[in-house]
Amino acid sequence: MSHNRGLTMVLVLVVLGAVCMTHAEDTKSPAQSSKIPKGAKVFVAPIADGFDTYLKDAIAAKKVPVEVVGNREVAEFEITGISETQKASTAKKVLFGNWHSREEASIQVSNLKSSEVIWSYSVHKEASGHGKKSTAEACAKHLKDEAIEK
Amino acid sequence: MHSKNPLIALVVALFVVCAAASPQFALSSIFYQNDSAQDQKSATKDSQPASSEPSKPAAADLKPASSDEGQLATVNNAKIPAYAKVYVAPMLGGFENYIIAGLRNKKVPLIVVVDRAKADYEISGVSESEKAGWAKMLFMGSQNSNEQASIKLSDLKTGAVIFGYSVHKANSIRGRQSAGEACAKHIKQIVID
Repeated sequence: MSHNRGLTMVLVLVVLGAVCMTHAEDTKSPAQSSKIPKGAKVFVAPIADGFDTYLKDAIAAKKVPVEVVGNREVAEFEITGISETQKASTAKKVLFGNWHSREEASIQVSNLKSSEVIWSYSVHKEASGHGKKSTAEACAKHLKDEAIEK
Repeated sequence: MHSKNPLIALVVALFVVCAAASPQFALSSIFYQNDSAQDQKSATKDSQPASSEPSKPAAADLKPASSDEGQLATVNNAKIPAYAKVYVAPMLGGFENYIIAGLRNKKVPLIVVVDRAKADYEISGVSESEKAGWAKMLFMGSQNSNEQASIKLSDLKTGAVIFGYSVHKANSIRGRQSAGEACAKHIKQIVID
């Protein structure tokens, strides 16, 4: 009789241990922050001044291993963001001899199922050699290096 | 008597395994609830007088903290738990994107969600950017912009504002990115890691 009770207690403790370990994994998961799997379907949302077009080109140019789709409903991840361009003013040209534009952009990648933002990046170029193309390629490069599963 | 000893040893061993597998679980599961409950209490306490007397109690609860580039205020030293879900509301000029990027860059342990309904807290605010004019370029020799932003973090359940921060950068080298990162750096101060 006492042997049965002991066995039951052991079983209960084993189950409790398993629950504890599962909980521990759950609490650790947000810190590890999920990444985009290779070949995942990504939708690039329209961004001001057509920056999304530059971003799509940059994703292809930097060989980011994701599939860019045109339909949000079939996508697993979404890239949203903001971009701003300021052309070099006359004062900048005359005083600094600089014809390059000032570029700013910030993008974020969100998981469409969980609604969580899994990666974000912002870039600022005071004198961008190739305008929006430079900032879009910076975004794509960091996307490839930091957000995609190795 | 002898048959009980292995059982006790097994119980102790299992407890040790559990504690080793999740070092914070034993403590956090107990204290985390208390902390959050305490925060809830403080938040509700803050929100109650605000409804009766709108201006005075809010000003009394705000505690300024030292900051190098901006002003920071927390309500009764309120904290938010790590990995809480935060929604960043749209701001003028898309400044929310820079805050989200700043949160990641400064490694703030929060989960940003794009759906407000799934969030526990909300960050909202306003930002303004002033580009360098010809006079600034000529007399100051600077082509950096002036940036200013002000954000607040509120608990979506209670509606209480638990944190506020404003930043002003006269010559922001990285533009809005700098302001967004400054906001994120100070949000990190109130997150319990």
